[in-house]
Amino acid sequence: MDMDMDMDIPLPEELELLESNSHFFEQEQDHHYYFPELDPAELHSQQPPPDLAASPEAESSGAHKRPRPDSPEAEKRAKVRVAAEEDCLRHSPSPPPEEEEKSAEVRVSIEEDWLHYSPPPEPPRETTFAKEKALSRFASEIDGECMPVTAPNGDRVYAKLNRFQGEECVTKLHCNGYSAALNSEPINIILERLEQEAFTKALEASSEGQSVPDVPEAQLVHEQLWVDKYSPKSFTELLSDEQTNREVLLWLKQWDSTVFGSEIRSTSDDVLSALKRHSSVVHNQKPLNSKFPRTNRGSKWSSGGRYINSRNMDESGSSKSIQDVWNTKSRNIGPPEQKILLLCGPPGLGKTTLAHIAAKHCGYHVVEVNASDDRSTSTIEAKILDVVQMNSVLSDSRPKCLVVDEIDGALGDGKGAVEVLLKMISAERKPDFGKQSFGKGQPERKSSRKGSKTASLSRPVICICNDLYAPALRPLRQVAKVHIFVQPTVSRVVNRLKYICNKEGMKASAIALGALAEYTECDIRSCLNTLQFLSKKKEALNAFDIGSQIVGQKDKSKNVLDVWKEIFHKRRTKKIERKSHSGQSFEFDSLYSLVSSRGDSDLILDGIHENVLRLNYHDPVMQKTVKCFNNLGVYDLMHQYIMHTQQMPLYVYLPLVGITIHRIVSQVQKPNIEWPKSHQRYRTVMMEKMDILKSWHHKIPPHISRHLSASSFVEDLISPLLHIVSPPSIRPVALQLLSEKEKNDLAQLVSTMVSYALTYKTMKLDVLPQTVKCEVADGLSLSLVPPISDFINFKDYTSNHYVLSLAMKQVLVHEVEKNKILQVNVDKTVALANGGHEVIETGSNSIPLANTDHTTVVDTKTNENQVKILARQLNANPAKVSSNLNSNKSASAADSGELPNVENMKKPYRSSSSFFDRFKKSNVKGLQRNDRSLQEEATFEKDRYPLLFKFNEGFTNAVKRPVRIREFLS
Amino acid sequence: MLWVDKYRPKTLDQVMVHTDIAHNLKQLVSEQDCPHLLFYGPSGSGKKTLVMALLRQMFGPGAEKVKVENRTWKVDAGSRSIDLELTTLSSANHIEISPSDAGFQDRYVVQEVIKEMAKNRPIEIDNKGKKGFKVLVLNDVDKLSREAQHSLRRTMEKYSSYCRLILCCNSSSRVTEAIRSRCLNVRINAPQEEQIVEVLEFIGKKEGLQLPPGFAARIAEKSNRNLRRAILSFETCRVQQYPFTVKQTIPPMDWEEYISEIASDIMKEQSPKRLFQVRGKLYELLINCIPPEIILKRLLYELLRKLDAELKHEVCHWAAYYEHRMRLGQKAIFHIEAFVAKFMSIYKSFLIATFG
Repeated sequence: MDMDMDMDIPLPEELELLESNSHFFEQEQDHHYYFPELDPAELHSQQPPPDLAASPEAESSGAHKRPRPDSPEAEKRAKVRVAAEEDCLRHSPSPPPEEEEKSAEVRVSIEEDWLHYSPPPEPPRETTFAKEKALSRFASEIDGECMPVTAPNGDRVYAKLNRFQGEECVTKLHCNGYSAALNSEPINIILERLEQEAFTKALEASSEGQSVPDVPEAQLVHEQLWVDKYSPKSFTELLSDEQTNREVLLWLKQWDSTVFGSEIRSTSDDVLSALKRHSSVVHNQKPLNSKFPRTNRGSKWSSGGRYINSRNMDESGSSKSIQDVWNTKSRNIGPPEQKILLLCGPPGLGKTTLAHIAAKHCGYHVVEVNASDDRSTSTIEAKILDVVQMNSVLSDSRPKCLVVDEIDGALGDGKGAVEVLLKMISAERKPDFGKQSFGKGQPERKSSRKGSKTASLSRPVICICNDLYAPALRPLRQVAKVHIFVQPTVSRVVNRLKYICNKEGMKASAIALGALAEYTECDIRSCLNTLQFLSKKKEALNAFDIGSQIVGQKDKSKNVLDVWKEIFHKRRTKKIERKSHSGQSFEFDSLYSLVSSRGDSDLILDGIHENVLRLNYHDPVMQKTVKCFNNLGVYDLMHQYIMHTQQMPLYVYLPLVGITIHRIVSQVQKPNIEWPKSHQRYRTVMMEKMDILKSWHHKIPPHISRHLSASSFVEDLISPLLHIVSPPSIRPVALQLLSEKEKNDLAQLVSTMVSYALTYKTMKLDVLPQTVKCEVADGLSLSLVPPISDFINFKDYTSNHYVLSLAMKQVLVHEVEKNKILQVNVDKTVALANGGHEVIETGSNSIPLANTDHTTVVDTKTNENQVKILARQLNANPAKVSSNLNSNKSASAADSGELPNVENMKKPYRSSSSFFDRFKKSNVKGLQRNDRSLQEEATFEKDRYPLLFKFNEGFTNAVKRPVRIREFLS
Repeated sequence: MLWVDKYRPKTLDQVMVHTDIAHNLKQLVSEQDCPHLLFYGPSGSGKKTLVMALLRQMFGPGAEKVKVENRTWKVDAGSRSIDLELTTLSSANHIEISPSDAGFQDRYVVQEVIKEMAKNRPIEIDNKGKKGFKVLVLNDVDKLSREAQHSLRRTMEKYSSYCRLILCCNSSSRVTEAIRSRCLNVRINAPQEEQIVEVLEFIGKKEGLQLPPGFAARIAEKSNRNLRRAILSFETCRVQQYPFTVKQTIPPMDWEEYISEIASDIMKEQSPKRLFQVRGKLYELLINCIPPEIILKRLLYELLRKLDAELKHEVCHWAAYYEHRMRLGQKAIFHIEAFVAKFMSIYKSFLIATFG
């Protein structure tokens, strides 16, 4: 039978379900025993629906009691049940008016106590005990043994005890008696819960008691979706991954101290210990692990790597870590560290259900906000405040728990929710941190204290999303505790589906259900919808239907990482598929739809490019690699062509490249995918460097830069230039000590640096490896600005460029700065004095000589005059020089007597920003002359004035002298 | 100031390398008529120098007074208006731009600038009776998009009385036939090694340096017939060690060194793993703004040096194949890597075939 088949698959994670199911099947068996001709269709059509779904819970609890034959209560119950069933069965087909009420009552009361789906009404002739009076108000009416049964509403009836029936039960149960150990919770908790549930159910049932016999109307009620009808009603029924469930529950439980205060914490401990015990029970079934539960400790629990671990999760590890968490939890009081829980996963795995059930289980009143609600910032804030800080006085005094469903779905407005939550969290972080530890959760006071200014989060908030990496969630991801849902195992889903099919009287083979579950990727919602659809059509589900159009496949785009995985991962095809051609075409189709529905073909191809070389495919002479890259090239050409000609229809062919590559390199082993960063990095870094080049290009005076293009910079110029600006022959000594030749070299170097707009600047030490070489005294070093040395700084490449010493660089900086300042002025004066182009001629011809002999430098009277004025200005303040230019200019113009030229100059001066650069040509030549003369002048000036001070940023080479204050004032 | 700039010829008379071309140009200008000109040739051969000298010949020394401007144009393109920003170098008589900097909007640049120039015609036509035109120098014409070249074609004719174009590019094959036929094509060859030696010796004399025999020739040989590079490395040698020795090393270009490292990596091992490492190095080069075509070319050169003669032909073929694809496509790295993979494949199968 079914049960036997289930027993064949003793997977630990299934066992719990199995446990509950096994009793269910057994019970079904019982019924079949009694009512062998029971028609399933009739069964569910005549049933009163609402109680159905709670049954597994009740069954499991019932099962827990039954295996103890010495417990009189259980025995009695077992008998009473049967008797009561008989009774009501006998009565229901044609109930006399006065008895109808009674039987309804009895049925409700007894049934609630223990069995929520009642066996269907049944023609009395089929029961063996039909003639006896089994249930009565009065003990005298029953012959034989009887026992009183009291319903929660106070009604009391006497039920006949049927010894034979009881023994039958006992013998039956003994055969799987070991399941006693499967008790997940202590009996008193179960009883408590049962009683509570029964009470609420009884209330409901009594309100709709009138409609119970009305069979035709029940058809309408039956129309509800199976998804809702069979949605789990309690924590143990959840189909989602066991570990996730427990973690969610744990997280919720950590709120207990804040939300409920300390007195309820005891129950939380109970539950936790129950959980603990439960998981240890699981151990007992798996003796290998249970013996050493402490040896392999689940360190994975603490890490974020849930995604990887959860599939093949290890029960012992998890149980152990539950204990760990529990221990730590009992130590620190207060809400959990992460105040928001973010559940994410593909649709249909039961995220919402889990959130609701877990919250209910922990005693919260669930408030749900989903995408259909108004989610603008203001409304959501009001709502969250409402939920988080207020207690409802009227209807439900339970604290509320906010479930924000589909938080990733909405853009724009939907971000409001995320924003508000983040705001509340950040508000919480700062002021609350110290107080949380001893202020043992007094929500009322806290909210009143804070409600005025910052709203804090004092109730659990669960957010649910499908795509964890949605951009809107980025900030939330960092503060929330994230749980990723994984698919439940197929067998688990199949078990549940089978259970539901049985309930609904639908015939479905386990194989077909398995195929269905696999096809929908364990999306139980779509499974159920499909099944319901089929059952409506009165069709049976067979395995061949699955692939056909009856079952729609989900049109969802996968995560791009999954796409890459699919491309690089060769699926082990089943034998049947491999033989037939359809297997291949199916693979093709699925890959094609996968890649094309993702859409972002550029990213996908980048990912392929990035990862393809890391795969371990067998490729002795690189044939496969060549093929791969040819395909990538084809992709690139095609993409470029499409972009260029706007032939968008051709986009359909792009995914084919991915499929070809899949065919070439896919491996059975799992690929290790990395996100394609290098191309992105290449682009951004290259842009940066291009910008550096461009701005450098602009800084260089036009008469030089016009001959260079950006590419010739890197191709031809930079390497030699770096050599040239760092000559090894030059000594880092004071200028006066240099020989004549060295002075020339230095002047040449400085002029080169100036004309190519290079200088040194202090940088942080770690910028360049080169700087390590030069002796650095104070942790600072000078490096070239613009950073052209970066352009030859390839990875794993050491250039043999000589690096100047720090002292030399400082000298150079000084000289370059000086030169620049001079240049500005000399430009003016020279240009004015000589009126333009003649200077160029003389300059280019006479410079080599001028350098060698500086006595010949001062060639014109006017020039000397300019330099004098200039040097004086320099001494005053370099910054002021430019503002004084006008006066300088007019003065010099008067000197040279070339007034018209001044007008000529003025116009471009205003119009162009780089006016000074225009005359650099003349200047650079004139400069070298003036440089020398300037030094002379400078020393001359030094003697004339008692005080000389020059301020240079970053370092000082000022001449220090004792100075009296009156000298400043004079 | 670098020697490259210092000893750059300023007039057509000073030109040392392409003397015949300079002579022709001079005659062209002296007859007071100048057609549109298209200069093309490899980099470092002296195109720009000739153009500048020509401008000076046309307009006198005033052509050297240039200012840099960052100009913006507002272009009406149908319904919307486009803002363009471009750096121009201009003197009173000419404007110099690199329209390819504007990317895909280069055609608006071409149209607008020429129109604008035509509007402000110089007035000196009466004063001196000549040069009633301005000159527009367009750099990197081969990087202009096809559309821009087409729009250039019409404007060239329409405004030819006010405005002469001097086009400058590396390869004339990327300039459309229509434009080439409207210009006087001037091919600037890469200078011969002897010419380079001549220039180097001239500079050495000017600088008062003692050149050991054969030294200049070695530099010229290493320079790949690129005059700029030759002068630069000459100066580098001077800076590194002055009294020159015959055996003095001429410092190589760093990126070329790096590529030769890559090439030896490739020769050492042929596997996807190695290809992955090579990819990292190729990215390094690309990041540092070295054009992919040049990488591929140099890589081929380095590989060929170490290669068996039997394979050279095939490898060259594939290099050309992948370079073609690279130019058609967008992601250069795909194609360079494809070439490397192909080379590895060829080389490895060759090794297996010959050595077992």
